[in-house]
Amino acid sequence: MEACNAVEREVDKVLLKFGAINEHAGTVLRDLINHIESLKKELEEAPSDHELTPGQVQVLKQAMTKVRDTVQRLATDHRDLHSTVSKVGKAIDRNFIADFASTSREDVFSGPEKTHLLNEVICRHFYRQGMFDIADELAAEASIESDEGSKEPFAGLNHILDCLKQRNLEPALEWARHFREPLLAMDSSLEFKLHRLHFIRLVQQGPSKQAEAIMYARKHLTEFVSRHEKEVQSLMGTLLYLPNGIQSSPYSHLLDPTLWLDIHDVFAKDACMLFGLSVDSPLSVCINAGCTALPALLNIKQVMQQRQVTGIWNGKDELPIEIDLGKQSQYHSVFACPILRQQSTENNPPMKLVCGHVISRDALNKLTSANKNQFISRLKCPYCPVEQNPEDARLIYF
Amino acid sequence: MSDVKSLEHPTLKVPYELLNKKFRSAQKTLDREVSHVQAATNELEKGLKTDGTNVATGEITRLLGGVVARLQVLKRKAEESIAEELQAGMVCKRRLDHLKEHANTAPSAVNQWRRQRLDRMLVEYFLRKGYYKTAMKLADSGELCDLTNIDVFMVSREVEKSLANHETARCLGWCHDNRSKLRKLGSTMEFNLRVQEFIELVRADRRLDAVKHARKCFANYDDYQLQEIQCCMGQLAFPANTYLSPYKHLLDEKRWDRLIEQFRHENYRLFQLASQSVFTVALQAGLSALKTPQCYSANREGRNPSCPVCNEALNELAASLPFAHCSQSRLVCTISGKPLNEHNQPMMMPNGYVYGERALEKMAQENNGSVTCPKTKEVFPYKKIEKVFVM
Repeated sequence: MEACNAVEREVDKVLLKFGAINEHAGTVLRDLINHIESLKKELEEAPSDHELTPGQVQVLKQAMTKVRDTVQRLATDHRDLHSTVSKVGKAIDRNFIADFASTSREDVFSGPEKTHLLNEVICRHFYRQGMFDIADELAAEASIESDEGSKEPFAGLNHILDCLKQRNLEPALEWARHFREPLLAMDSSLEFKLHRLHFIRLVQQGPSKQAEAIMYARKHLTEFVSRHEKEVQSLMGTLLYLPNGIQSSPYSHLLDPTLWLDIHDVFAKDACMLFGLSVDSPLSVCINAGCTALPALLNIKQVMQQRQVTGIWNGKDELPIEIDLGKQSQYHSVFACPILRQQSTENNPPMKLVCGHVISRDALNKLTSANKNQFISRLKCPYCPVEQNPEDARLIYF
Repeated sequence: MSDVKSLEHPTLKVPYELLNKKFRSAQKTLDREVSHVQAATNELEKGLKTDGTNVATGEITRLLGGVVARLQVLKRKAEESIAEELQAGMVCKRRLDHLKEHANTAPSAVNQWRRQRLDRMLVEYFLRKGYYKTAMKLADSGELCDLTNIDVFMVSREVEKSLANHETARCLGWCHDNRSKLRKLGSTMEFNLRVQEFIELVRADRRLDAVKHARKCFANYDDYQLQEIQCCMGQLAFPANTYLSPYKHLLDEKRWDRLIEQFRHENYRLFQLASQSVFTVALQAGLSALKTPQCYSANREGRNPSCPVCNEALNELAASLPFAHCSQSRLVCTISGKPLNEHNQPMMMPNGYVYGERALEKMAQENNGSVTCPKTKEVFPYKKIEKVFVM
């Protein structure tokens, strides 16, 4: 923030000074022109064979000197603004980082294959955002064969999401009916939630819609009773309060408008899961993560350069520092051995000791060999007093 | 360091370079017009001095008219060029205003800003890759024209196009426009273009013209280019379809492609743009920060469809990047996606798989006390589930 402000101060100065010089030049030059023109008029009024008096010559000479000085000063004034302009550039260089690319390697995304892959990722990102025209343009320019298959689901889903935003349930209901089997297999309650919203909307319209609401419940909600007994019961309960208004009933929470926002998210999540897609665009997740990570990486790079230990980070195996991306961006369980302070790998997996504590296999082996007795190998858990046979430790999967 | 600070240098530096360029050309125009005015005044003073006192008024009014005309031209030009400078300054200001919106922490504003940032990055990436139409379309749809360096790239697009058509004129014009800057950068662009012109003359078998061209253009280049010039001269002795090594190389059509490459590179340097786009830099950092060994595990069950790095294409792109560093265990329940900690203890099934206590409890309640491992589909009684302790 202060970086922006520092640059803005300089830019404001530039704008101010250029504004001033603009005004100044305008008035000064106008005055000069008027002055010379009046002199000219004076001379023109005299008869054509008139000769200049010494006084007139003097006046003219003075006028010319004035013109010369003024325009010269104007040019100098303008030149003096150069320092103000260049200060902007210096402020930018001081407050922003020019070689932000220093932590990344150029070869990672270069080459025709990688470029093609990257373009495909971008193309899919645009499909997902519903920006089909841009995706098509990119496909044409980067010569990606855009298969209609990858486009189709997004076109439909975006339409349904738009309808949900406008509180139109029909397209979503139809979609949910169409994919009922796979949705049930995923333990999704999307269809029920859609029906529930429809029912609530009927109930909200007061006693006049009572019959319609009951009909709707009989027709659509009965099949959900086994899975959502409690919820169906409370929906039926609302019917009791119809004459007095549900607003003042124990069921008022059902009228909460956030239910509509919820259904939007639930639908997006379930639909993406059904098609095996991520809920957020992978590209935007990556870029946001990158924007969080980059300042820290640049910082550590700088420190490493100062300490002259750049060799440690070759940019191949692991980043030099931990980057906290927040809970949303945690997609995998990572087990770091508390003894070796290393991430577990397939060759060094987590092992559960008898007492329930988890350490990595390498750490277990090291501890065992350290306490090796000729006859029996015993191991004391590093975290609790339990002694055990290391053979009893077992492999676990996170 | 904030992300604005580390990523937005080109967003501000390019309009600054344009402002600077405008300033220099304005100064040049002003100087020229000022000297014109001064020439007119000098002429008038000479007219006044000629032969003592006898000066005809007619002559003087004519000269006065000349001074007024010059002054008027100066006034017009000054107004025009200062207006251009102000405009360039306003572009800087607008971009700063946009960057300052970043400070707004309302979630919807943050999301909006991030989306715009991604679009801005993509526009720049497209421009660098030469996908101009896509870039234009995206910039138009998001009203990003002011916030991206699209103008700079549009100029270079024209130059690249003409180079692709084997024409040098436009690129030479560009070199001329930015001559002082290019000289400061030690650019060999103009020299290489001249060499190319020479080669084309040889190819067309107009050897005499080629010699004339060489006399005109190669005379004033520095010593370190001597070898190349010698090479060119040597080429005069060989036919256009020669197989001999340095000359065949010079006659290669690919030299035009290399010129385009060089032009792009010089254009970046001119505006202090990094050789990589912000987009690829941020993407690399992001992929690294998200990359875990699980994303590459041989058995596919370790993969999470929501994880960007597990996404097929990105997975391949990230293959050579470093993994995220992690010195403290971070566990998530793969059933609920919730973190595992003291409020949601990790529990191990008899088959060794670990899930969250809450998800398993819920599953047991719904299924009469038995739980199913989502990965292996084995069914266990809830009582067989054991607690594990992760430090």
